[in-house]
Amino acid sequence: MSDSVPSALVDDKSAVKTPAVFSAEEEAGIRESLRRCPAKGVEAAIEFRKTGDPKHLPVVILGIFERFVEPDLRPRLATADSDDLRVIEDLGLDSLTMMEIVMLVEEITKTQIANDELRQLSTIGDIKNFVDCRTRGLPPPPVAIVYDSAVLLERMPIQPPFLFLDEARVSATKATASYRITGQEFFLQGHFKGNPVMPASLMLEALGQLGVWYLLAGLPVEEGKVVGAGTIFFASTDGVRCHRVCKPGDVLTLQLKPKRVKAPLAVFEGSIRVGQEKAVIAEEITLTFGLVDAPAPAPKPAPEAELQAEPAPQV
Amino acid sequence: MSRVFITGVGFITSIGNDAGAVETNLRELRHGLATYAPFAADNIPVKVIAPVRGFETDAPDQEDWVIPAPYKLKRELLRGMGPNALYATCALEQAIADAKLSPADVSNDDTGLYAASAGSPVMLTRSINRMREAGGVMRCPPLSVVASIAGSVQFNLVAHLKIKGASGGFVSACASSSHALGFAFDEIALGRQKRMLVVGAEDGNVDAILPFAGMRALSTNTDPNTASRPFDKKRDGFVGTGGGVGLVLESEEEVMRRGVTPYAELLGWGQASDGHNVAISHPDGLGLAAAMRRALKSVGMTAADLGYVNAHATSTPIGDVSECKALRTVLGEHAARVAVSSTKALTGHGLSLAGAMETAFCALAIRKGFIPGSAHITELDPACEGLNIIRTTQAASPGVVLNNSSGFGGANVCLVLRPAV
Repeated sequence: MSDSVPSALVDDKSAVKTPAVFSAEEEAGIRESLRRCPAKGVEAAIEFRKTGDPKHLPVVILGIFERFVEPDLRPRLATADSDDLRVIEDLGLDSLTMMEIVMLVEEITKTQIANDELRQLSTIGDIKNFVDCRTRGLPPPPVAIVYDSAVLLERMPIQPPFLFLDEARVSATKATASYRITGQEFFLQGHFKGNPVMPASLMLEALGQLGVWYLLAGLPVEEGKVVGAGTIFFASTDGVRCHRVCKPGDVLTLQLKPKRVKAPLAVFEGSIRVGQEKAVIAEEITLTFGLVDAPAPAPKPAPEAELQAEPAPQV
Repeated sequence: MSRVFITGVGFITSIGNDAGAVETNLRELRHGLATYAPFAADNIPVKVIAPVRGFETDAPDQEDWVIPAPYKLKRELLRGMGPNALYATCALEQAIADAKLSPADVSNDDTGLYAASAGSPVMLTRSINRMREAGGVMRCPPLSVVASIAGSVQFNLVAHLKIKGASGGFVSACASSSHALGFAFDEIALGRQKRMLVVGAEDGNVDAILPFAGMRALSTNTDPNTASRPFDKKRDGFVGTGGGVGLVLESEEEVMRRGVTPYAELLGWGQASDGHNVAISHPDGLGLAAAMRRALKSVGMTAADLGYVNAHATSTPIGDVSECKALRTVLGEHAARVAVSSTKALTGHGLSLAGAMETAFCALAIRKGFIPGSAHITELDPACEGLNIIRTTQAASPGVVLNNSSGFGGANVCLVLRPAV
């Protein structure tokens, strides 16, 4: 089995470990450890330990989060996009609480999460994926790579004063970025008179820019080829809804999830949040792009290695 | 040198969780001692402690603790606390409110915090047991160290109150919180800080108190009404207590600027060590006498100026006699006049909490104009002869007050207070 087989391709049944005999004492131990968690999380944990089937784990993990999250934020865990919730920014937990959560997860799943692995996990989805891979005996999913503003400035075809990304993170499944509206942006002088508001069109532009970066920094689209920085253009957008006015001082959290990426089109679903508030939703953002030859000689590394190696695209 | 005033006090004690209740109990000599259920076993010879009321902190998980209104602590704060830090937080919040301080008055470069506690033995035991037995090294709660070691109180409070000035802790056993007050006085007097928050706290539970039984230091008297009786001929050891007491000290400039009425002026302090024994006070009270003399000298006073001494006297046979000798030496011809009492008859002995608790009692007595009596004396120990040990509360201003504290290793600290004028 190659190191890079995605967990989704593995037959569930083959991954299910034969469980050891599950004693009443163990069950009591789990109930004690999880006693402040919701009942369905506790039952799922017991089922997991009885059967060894990782399908129970998402409910266990959500249950453990529910126990630690302040009551007024708990309803967010029940929403459809709870996997995208960031532990610190969205759920208000600190790194020490994250450690408590990890200790409980380790105890229930009988796994170990090392400190450097822990540092890479920022959303509930990250943790679910990580634990899923770990209990199936698979290597952990590739982690997001963080790009700071210096790297973005060096490699983005778009430059200030029209660059709306301060920092970006790219993984195989999504790209996120942040942008702080400084108040010094040139367009705020006129938009609006005496009332600076980031234009909605530029919020979409920012999402488009993150798409550009995803294509430049992301997984190889075709063997021996990379996306040419000068070939990427905005093509279309659909299903755009603006929920919140964004003003100087707001920190925008941009997120794109690729739906289809096949030359010459890349289709994403995008969102912008400020703290925990929705600002913009775009059901589809489409960019066109062209491929150019990768710098020769083109090696054939595993996707994980490719991500870490960050080959400079030909510009 | 700036003058230093006490502008706020807060109490979580066996005789009350607010200044009003504490004042009433001090005036009426109502004690806070009770038969303690966890000491019920036949092989435990000690039966009485002075428990903190309204809190329940015996459960291993802090989220199961009962914390009375109006106090509310978030889980993320509570998880790094033992009972001592919880009591300290509540007491200090009370003192801050009492001094009418805003969050900005507390969190700035000119405000510091000193704390005193011996740590939380029960929290330490639980986390070590968990490491050794239940879960292994990686299953210690992440904040178990913060919640248990001796600095726990200041770690929590300095972070929680966003203290920006001086901070630290004092660990001289039963002299700890008097040391904290003394050095806090210095910070203000020397112009380093304008305001200091000082808090003493102890768990006051089985693991904090019972180890003193092996030392034969605890009273085995089973009657809560007489178990703590400093200066009484039949005293047989101290009664343990816990809780937290907070004080706000401020410079004269700050008092004037804010326009608050202080409880009392903290005039100065002195300290000296016995150089004698790790756990037994010097038989003639040499170190304590030296501490009292230094305290008086530092404020330019003599025994003639004193009105009241709040004695350290814990109700142990040896310690109380040592202190009486020290008092006779220092008070000299004024011994028969200066009122002496030990409020530990009412509260038991608060260990690291004692100095702060009794200084706050003195501050209350000065503001309200009374001198708390030394309760539970049926027959005065002849070794106390020549001293004016007052058995009942006197409705008179105490004037200039000395507050004594002595700790393990022979550490002695003496604080001097007087009415604010």
